[in-house]
Amino acid sequence: MLLEQLAGNLFQGLVLGAVYGMATMGLSLIFGVLRIVNVGHGAFIMVGAFVTLWLFTALGISPLVAVPVAFVVGLGLGFIFYYTAIKKLIKAPELASLLATFSIGILLEEVIKLIFGSEFRGYNWALPKIDLGVTVLPLSKLYACIGSIIIALILYLWFNKTRAGTAMRSVVEDTEGAKVCGVNVDRVYANSFAIGIGLTLASGVLLTMFIPVGINPYMGGSYTLKAFVIAVLGGLTSPYGAFFGGLVFGLIENGSYTLFALIPGVEPFALTRFLSFLMLLVILLIRPTGILKGK
Amino acid sequence: MKKAGTLFKITTLFTFLGLFVFSSGAHAASKIVIGHPACLSGKYAKAGEQAVGGIKACVNWVNKVYGGVSLGGKKIPLVYKYYDCESKKEAVTSLIARLISSDRVNVVFAPYSSGLTLRGAPVAESRKMLYMDHGGANNKIFRQGFRYVVQTIGPATRYHEGTLDMIKKIDPSAKKVALAYEDSEFAKMVMFGAEVHAKKLGLNVVFKRTYPKGVTDLTPLLSAMKAARPDFVLGGGHFEDGQLFSRQMADLDIDVKALSLIAAATLPAFYEALGSLAEGVMGPSHWEYGVKYSEAEAKKVGLPWIGPSQDEFVALFKKAVGKNIIPDYHAAEAGAQVLAYVLAVEKSNSLNSDKVRVALGDLKFMSFYGGWDVDDTGMQVGHSMVDVQWQAAKRVIVWPEEAQTGKLCYPMPTFKEKAKGKLAVP
Repeated sequence: MLLEQLAGNLFQGLVLGAVYGMATMGLSLIFGVLRIVNVGHGAFIMVGAFVTLWLFTALGISPLVAVPVAFVVGLGLGFIFYYTAIKKLIKAPELASLLATFSIGILLEEVIKLIFGSEFRGYNWALPKIDLGVTVLPLSKLYACIGSIIIALILYLWFNKTRAGTAMRSVVEDTEGAKVCGVNVDRVYANSFAIGIGLTLASGVLLTMFIPVGINPYMGGSYTLKAFVIAVLGGLTSPYGAFFGGLVFGLIENGSYTLFALIPGVEPFALTRFLSFLMLLVILLIRPTGILKGK
Repeated sequence: MKKAGTLFKITTLFTFLGLFVFSSGAHAASKIVIGHPACLSGKYAKAGEQAVGGIKACVNWVNKVYGGVSLGGKKIPLVYKYYDCESKKEAVTSLIARLISSDRVNVVFAPYSSGLTLRGAPVAESRKMLYMDHGGANNKIFRQGFRYVVQTIGPATRYHEGTLDMIKKIDPSAKKVALAYEDSEFAKMVMFGAEVHAKKLGLNVVFKRTYPKGVTDLTPLLSAMKAARPDFVLGGGHFEDGQLFSRQMADLDIDVKALSLIAAATLPAFYEALGSLAEGVMGPSHWEYGVKYSEAEAKKVGLPWIGPSQDEFVALFKKAVGKNIIPDYHAAEAGAQVLAYVLAVEKSNSLNSDKVRVALGDLKFMSFYGGWDVDDTGMQVGHSMVDVQWQAAKRVIVWPEEAQTGKLCYPMPTFKEKAKGKLAVP
């Protein structure tokens, strides 16, 4: 029975971890290229969740269609915020960009609250479930997992097989060198920020496919916290590392629950959180470049 | 020397006169001000909006129908002064101080939730200000030795007593109960009360765990609960985790005979978010539209009646919030608190917190909200809860039998049946 539970939780953790990983890739991409920590990351996830909610409840559009829609909305928001705020702060002290992204996050929360109110909402996308023996998996969760893997693969191919992707990598490696070689660094910055935000909004859609309730303007906070742990785990500058970090985080978060439950008198959830932050500390101390060494 | 003696006498005379006037408070008042740090945004915004609507509805009733509060031979109007505390503890304390010092309110109504109520209590207590609690159910509030805290909402330990009694009566073979609650003061107190009562009824608690506030995935906990094979489940904490709880039980196909969730299941937004998955889910409630409390019922049990009838309250509430929505228990308990305060002021013929507090201690009455009576600590003991169940997209009162608006659907439909469109109709 215990092994069955552990296997079920690990499987659920893997599926959720893929979505967590996807939800962190935008954060890592922006930090990797622009060296800006997007403290308002969770607010962009929240916007993605609201895009899904609105498309599904008001227009009856499937969350699968909401993924590219949210990505495009994210691109638009990314360009707007880049040219109005972020561009001026790239060379400014880190605190300025931290405060700017924090403010953007609050602005988004309040705008969404103004439009949709502060209630906790949800939607019911009734899809069949797959009984795996050790656990039950709704198809919506499976779609979210597969969607995350596909987006991660597309990003990988884009980075490695296109000129724009190569330009982006060159800026990450050496900004001055890239300039000398004729790369338009400012455009790369703008594109990276926009794509990072687009990915984050798309991950908001995927997260609601996994958990289609609790959608409200302030839902982003807990995801920001998790994204930072995952980003450090995967290497703060590496979007792929972030994806693998998400998988590891999901596995540890879900798997450890079953094991901690064996300790008498202990509430397992309290220890899984403790473990997450212990993990963050240990990785920062012994391998600050993350599990993929920043690749 | 003679001059100094005269001055002393005059000063003493004015001091006593001043003390008399301020201590009675009955003769100088042209208005009675209720202060309230309300949760109009943040995580308790939903309950906060309801509470403000309920208070406004009853303040309107007192001023326009009742004619004001009888004090010192005059009818004095009520004024409601509130600020948004954003559901934040630090805002609660500063707003209470502001309401007392700057706005010079006569009574403070606590914000929603046990945590926020508890946070504000010492501030009101230190200023000897009456602090009325309509949204903090945790029994611990009344174990701190506060003198000025008086409760309208019922204590947390009694939330699930009715649910357990009902299941025991309907299905004596259902012995295995699972308890899974949010790790908050309020929810843990509910769980404690439920566990004690379950054991008293001879039930077997096969699973008992908490989950943290702000949790985004309950899969590991629910998987473990599924393995314990409970007959029925009692759980929840607040609205957001209640939604998640039901949704993920459905995801994992955890079918039980009954599921009762505190705070979440009684709100319309619960069904809006979950749709048919909410069918059959129950929740304890302090009040529900359809309860049968009336002037005649009050007469029958020998209690004085005050306030609007249930339908009058609903109409006043709709006008107050400007929306065509039915109030929930957050609105009703906040509204009933206004009525309790009015009765106590009239009974003591004073606005002095100490005198009103004594009057509240002696007060027993019935309103649209039901019975009202507090013990020596200020904790509510006169109000009974009801259990509601979602049946065909409507909330039906299923317990206690004397308040029923419909029969319980038991066992509730399985998630597979719900997916095929089966409704929880008995």
